[in-house]
Amino acid sequence: MAQILDIITTAAILYVVCAGLLIVFGVMKIINFAHGGFLTVGGYSALLVTKMGWHPWWGIPVSFAIGCVCGMVIERLVVRPLYARPLDAILATWGLGIIIGQLITLGFGREVQFVQSPVRGAIDFAGASYSQYRLILVGAAIVLGLALSAALNGTRLGLQTRAVIMNENLARGLGINSGLVRFITFTLGAGLASLAGALITPLSSVDPNLGVPWLVGAFMLVMVSGMSLVSLAIACLVLGGAQVLVSTYGNPVLGGLTIVVLAALLLRLRPQGFARE
Amino acid sequence: MNDAPAAAAAVGVNAVTPRPRSDARLVLGLAAAALVLVAIGPYLLPDFLINNLIRGFLYAAVALTVDILWGYTGILTFGQSAFFGIGAYAAGLSFTHLGFGLGIAAFALVGGIAVAALVALVIGWLAFYHGASPLYASVITLVLPIIVAQILYSGGTFTGSSSGLSGFESFDLSLQIWFWIAGVFLVVLTSAAWLFVRSDAGRVLIAIRENEPRCEYLGINVSRLKIVLMVVCAIVAAVAGYAFACVQMVIAPEYAGFVFGTELVIWVALGGRGTLIGPVIGTLLIDTSTAYLSGSLPFIWKLVVGLAFVIVIVALPRGFAPLIGRVFRPRRAEADARGEVPMLRASAKPARTDRESAQTRALDLNAVTKHFGSLRVLDGIELQADHGELLSLVGPNGAGKTTLIRCVSDGGERSSGSVRVNGHDIERRAPYQCVAYGVGRKFQNANTFDALSVAQSLRIARSRLQRPSLWSRAATLALPEGALKVMQATGLDRMLGVEVRHLAHGQKQALELAMVLAMEPSVVLLDEPTAGLTRPERQLIGSVLVELTQQQRLCIVLVEHDLDFVREISSRVVVLHQGRIVLDGTVAQVVESELVRTIYSGGSAMSGAHA
Repeated sequence: MAQILDIITTAAILYVVCAGLLIVFGVMKIINFAHGGFLTVGGYSALLVTKMGWHPWWGIPVSFAIGCVCGMVIERLVVRPLYARPLDAILATWGLGIIIGQLITLGFGREVQFVQSPVRGAIDFAGASYSQYRLILVGAAIVLGLALSAALNGTRLGLQTRAVIMNENLARGLGINSGLVRFITFTLGAGLASLAGALITPLSSVDPNLGVPWLVGAFMLVMVSGMSLVSLAIACLVLGGAQVLVSTYGNPVLGGLTIVVLAALLLRLRPQGFARE
Repeated sequence: MNDAPAAAAAVGVNAVTPRPRSDARLVLGLAAAALVLVAIGPYLLPDFLINNLIRGFLYAAVALTVDILWGYTGILTFGQSAFFGIGAYAAGLSFTHLGFGLGIAAFALVGGIAVAALVALVIGWLAFYHGASPLYASVITLVLPIIVAQILYSGGTFTGSSSGLSGFESFDLSLQIWFWIAGVFLVVLTSAAWLFVRSDAGRVLIAIRENEPRCEYLGINVSRLKIVLMVVCAIVAAVAGYAFACVQMVIAPEYAGFVFGTELVIWVALGGRGTLIGPVIGTLLIDTSTAYLSGSLPFIWKLVVGLAFVIVIVALPRGFAPLIGRVFRPRRAEADARGEVPMLRASAKPARTDRESAQTRALDLNAVTKHFGSLRVLDGIELQADHGELLSLVGPNGAGKTTLIRCVSDGGERSSGSVRVNGHDIERRAPYQCVAYGVGRKFQNANTFDALSVAQSLRIARSRLQRPSLWSRAATLALPEGALKVMQATGLDRMLGVEVRHLAHGQKQALELAMVLAMEPSVVLLDEPTAGLTRPERQLIGSVLVELTQQQRLCIVLVEHDLDFVREISSRVVVLHQGRIVLDGTVAQVVESELVRTIYSGGSAMSGAHA
């Protein structure tokens, strides 16, 4: 039972971490390698909240807001000129990740620090005792998925965004301001990444390179998910589950490689990954 | 220069062949100067700097491979660090566990090279399959260093885990000698790379970067070429890593890791991708400054490098080197382009055994069907064509003409049915293999290499038949008669040195046609080859096509909207409508057909539908 919970909570954590990267890739066809940097920003936003003595739940809105602001600035200055050069966009955003990491080091120091968790301890769940916070993250992932789907399918902007995903040129021809859609998408993507950073920090600790280990895994999961939130959920469950199983029955190092290796092989055999077409 | 056809008779008998050109003299001069610097370096520089530069030389050698892969060929790689690490650990592991000896040192070197080459083969197979996206290749090169580093981390006492290996015995050489070894290694490598990228074969790399599909359809096995390149670059990186371990006698998993892989890319980007010298100088400068500044300003320095990197990628995609070079460059580059025009001449008549001996059909399509989901674009096409036929495919937009062309030139395209070209079943083969069976395809929109000159583009088209040199540039360009005539009809023969991006649309069309004919195909698929050409040019090209079918027995399949043009030159017309062949007959039969008139007038407004 604990194992099933491990798989589900791991998948939920991965889903939360990947969502921002996915919407940026889906709409802008750009891999945002500053995603790791935004995760770190979120982690330190949560740290800031702890230091100010606010209740830890404040970490969620604060990190989201800070992430959105970073996203806005970066979209205007760096990402916009690179729309036509997707490989260069990977590099530029990777450079941004370095800059973010160094600024945080300058501001907060290099050492590992700890963030207060909003909830503590374990609860009994289906006959097993399990970390309460990890279970809350499952709820967070579900809420996030539903909210994003609702935004995409239920709002005017969501409709325009889907139009841009399908055929940007046509969308532009129909009078949709695709530049605005991209701007909002990147802002939202950065905000979500930062939010994810705040959500995962109570599980471990914060340091200036907090985001980097997550980045590659998230990148691979997005690659196999195409552009759909549903296939991202499937990818997180399948590959995250495989990671848990390999770590338990194999060894943790192999477990750490599970996602990247399986995703790379999957893409070779089935280039569209978990996406339907 | 225009008497090329007349020279055809003389080819191979008494024609004076100009010598091929290369930059050998210039490179030798520069290399000699660099070697002098390397030779006197240890006497002038402080020990600290010598030590640093040895490392810098080895890093620069790896950066050079990143530049070849990324700057020239367009493969963004994060994985060269893994090969460096493999070379380093080959030395470290051998010396730690087997002890040091010359035999063991040789074994470690050969072993490191072999493992690196093998890994590169696997990576190449994964990353460069036919139809792989450039992003996927980058993904694979990103995964590689992560895996290698993780394996090293988890190797326990055998690999030394996170603290790496140190304290092993190595060659007993002074720093000074290592400086010379590493310096000579770098100079030789850079010179060789320079000769290579400026040779005819080196242009193929740029052609792949500019337009990979066109390369495939010119008969170049792009996947294999990329894999070979990957293996060579892996070997170079492994040798650098091996030397690194021998000098430093300390190695750690970080040297095989993903972060080092990205650092290599950063150095190349800052130095100037696609310039060779830029990445070498960039690496040396940045690595040395890092050594000096990371002590006093550790985080600020990394921040500055990060900032510079982002600015360069966004605003100066060619890096700093060209910016500095621009001061004295333009004049030389221009002279280069004009001075380097090869002499055009006719190639020897090809031996057409395949076509003349066996009485095989040029084209034989059986029940060829193509559907996207439930939409049938082609439905059970049965079509045969012989050598010496000029067959025109006509039909309204969306009839499936271009799709049919695609199904003949790429085995992976059709949903079912079979296609035989000169008697060979193309099965599911890639475009370059279809080219080997005799197919030549011209795309609907001019599909050329913007960054290459007219002559270079034609040379790429010839590379399947005439293996390009790895270190020099041929001084003559031999083309078959048909290609030469197209060039003369459109005036391209006087524009050999012009970069393709400066050509007008019609000239690009003509160039692509000449490139296709330069491959000496026997089945030529032309998708609106004369769109954008003037009327006289169009007539000239028409007569060239007729001549090719009649004299050289080519089979030409022409997609055209201009029915007047079709009527003038075709020997047979096939009408396609909604994915089916509705009529197959002589020009007269088709022109008088009631059916054709209904299809065309029933369809939307058609350009040139004045039949």
